[in-house]
Amino acid sequence: MLPIRLSKESREPIYHQIEKQLKALIAGGHLTAGTPLPSIRALSKDLEISVITIRRAYQDLEAQGFIETAHGKGTYVAEIKDVLKQEVKTASVSESFERAIETARSYDYSDEEMTAIFHAILEKRKKGE
Amino acid sequence: MPSWIEINGLQKSLDDFQLGPISLAIEPGTITALVGNNGSGKSTLLKLVMNLANADAGTIEVFGETAAGKDESWKQKLAFHPQKIIGWDAYTGTTLKEMISSLYGEWDEALFERMVGLFDIPLDKRFGKLSQGMQQKLSLALALPRNTEVLILDEPTAFLDIPSKRHFMDLLIDWMDAKERAVIITSHQTDDLRKLADYIFVMRDGKAIGHYEKEALLESYRRYWLDRLPDGSVPGEMSRDRQQIISGDPAATEHYFAVQNITVIDHAALDLEEIIDLLLK
Repeated sequence: MLPIRLSKESREPIYHQIEKQLKALIAGGHLTAGTPLPSIRALSKDLEISVITIRRAYQDLEAQGFIETAHGKGTYVAEIKDVLKQEVKTASVSESFERAIETARSYDYSDEEMTAIFHAILEKRKKGE
Repeated sequence: MPSWIEINGLQKSLDDFQLGPISLAIEPGTITALVGNNGSGKSTLLKLVMNLANADAGTIEVFGETAAGKDESWKQKLAFHPQKIIGWDAYTGTTLKEMISSLYGEWDEALFERMVGLFDIPLDKRFGKLSQGMQQKLSLALALPRNTEVLILDEPTAFLDIPSKRHFMDLLIDWMDAKERAVIITSHQTDDLRKLADYIFVMRDGKAIGHYEKEALLESYRRYWLDRLPDGSVPGEMSRDRQQIISGDPAATEHYFAVQNITVIDHAALDLEEIIDLLLK
């Protein structure tokens, strides 16, 4: 079973959540090239999501080169370029920062205050706290 | 994609019960769950599809053939697991298997044996002497190996214990993956709906309430917690309770909250069971 957790509370469409998490698993090296993926029907059962939605996620991932379908052999993780891996990683980090910035904005923090908090956290981690 | 089964304007009267009009299409590769209150007409609908009863009006086409015709060769492509099986009581599992497997050219003996092993089915006992759960297991072991394109399951898991339910789901998933197939299932078990259904067809007292893709249905309802409940009714509102409103039209509801400056403290999706409950009220 794949470590995919869907948030049904989120407004982000389910197929998009599946795509994003699979991309992260592939770019992070947790799913290496050639790893077989569950069939659309099996993933549909595990995630409790219709095959229509799973198929959409798989089709998008295939179009973007993350996965491959060999006729009669199922779906596999594709060999992806380092550039693409880097893109996914950067996108994932950017997204986390975006969220943090949004939280700070909602408390009316200025850019300087935000930067100060960011540096404070980095300092703290450097000291191994 | 062309439909494998097409039901159009189907109607049937039985004593004081009126079914329909029902229209429903079944596409290859999909699992459609029929959901409804007791007596909503699900089993009657399935019997009509299997040509075990005659409709008063409307049509059913199965792989392009009319189901009500004299030629029933389309039945090779449909396996039916009824809720109550009549006429099997006197026979043992072994005899039933011989009778049924001879009717289906594509019979999968290996799958049958696998299911007998998994479910621990005693094949030498008469069907009538088996417990309800065991009867259901044997009946399923005599349905899936027919290797038909379509499988129609009327309450297949009602009497199964928890491990058997899980086995059955895994078997059905493998069966769906083996080639292009479709399943129609009636079930009151929400787990079946959550894990198996792609489409949900809701019926209430013989009438069709709606045909939904599962995620689309889940996304069309939302629960909101508010700092204050507005006095008048909110667009999309289905029910309210203290600080909570359930909406059947989240877009309209959220627009209203924004315009009225109502703060949403939190919001959440409803689960399938709650939605079906709302639809059947």
